[in-house]
Amino acid sequence: MKKLFIIGIFTLFIQQATAQFSKADLQATGLTCAMCSNAINKALQKVSFVESVESDIKNSSFAIVFRKDASVNIDALKEAVEDAGFSVGGLRLTGLFNEVKIAADQHIKIGNSHFHFISVKDQVLNGEKTVTVVDKNFISEKQFKKYSSATKKDCIRTGKAGTCCKNEGLAEGERVFHVTI
Amino acid sequence: MTGLQKQLVVLLVAFCPLLAKAQIKYGADAPEVALPAVSGDTLKLSSLKGKVVLLDFWASWCGPCRVANKGLVKLYGKYKSKGFEIFGVSFDKDKSDWRKAIAKDKITWLQVNDDGGWEAPTAISWGIDAIPTSFLIDQNGKLIAMDLTGKELEKKLKEILED
Repeated sequence: MKKLFIIGIFTLFIQQATAQFSKADLQATGLTCAMCSNAINKALQKVSFVESVESDIKNSSFAIVFRKDASVNIDALKEAVEDAGFSVGGLRLTGLFNEVKIAADQHIKIGNSHFHFISVKDQVLNGEKTVTVVDKNFISEKQFKKYSSATKKDCIRTGKAGTCCKNEGLAEGERVFHVTI
Repeated sequence: MTGLQKQLVVLLVAFCPLLAKAQIKYGADAPEVALPAVSGDTLKLSSLKGKVVLLDFWASWCGPCRVANKGLVKLYGKYKSKGFEIFGVSFDKDKSDWRKAIAKDKITWLQVNDDGGWEAPTAISWGIDAIPTSFLIDQNGKLIAMDLTGKELEKKLKEILED
């Protein structure tokens, strides 16, 4: 019985909040027809953790598959699109979640990145889930206004933690990704 | 294979994409394009020697291409009888989208489809990175201009076909 109890505690420990993103759906916008240029496609393919990119003409978006177990840098995707002369109109990330407890307007560390969930119900994420990035320059200006008014925390304006959250283990200036479901 | 041969092969493979992407030079022979037309029959660019040909890369989902089609319809009507031809290469994955666009834009010039798009041999040999992209080819199959605007194209056609 005692043994069982110890094993129980142990499994609780190893079942900490994790998530591994495996793919994404990225919408690009720009002054010209984004799908009419192969530049975005090529730029995304050059990103180190990207396995493959396929353009989805009907939805004007790029279906990206990440390399297995690679560390995904969300900003690198945006930079690739911007370097190609376009901008991101939307980015939805899909991944496998394991016991990730989320609550509206709360910061949570998943893997090595900090996330701030906006306009969500309190819940525990398990299995394959998709989140939408709502940071500035990841959505339209209008949508950004809507999401930024849904939080009183200042980090949505800069994408970086302010002085607010040191007690949460979030250093000032650290990147916080704002997402919703 | 000896070590040196192996090295050579590696070098060749490494440089192949570079060679394939080489900038197309004016006065050079136009690389062949052989793709299926709406009927399914293969149409060859080289079969149009003797005419001034506009090779036009486009797709139904490419807004700027559709706008350009309007201007091309007028120019084609005016210069077709004088020895002008348009060879449209569409990157549509869905052939029915391509056919619908041909009908909607009232395209009567030659049309072929390459559902391989950017990655297909034709796009690679012509170095296509964006659409619309177009090339003007003279009666001898030599490249004479690229990406002319509607006005520039008309001026050029006047020069070549009306003098």
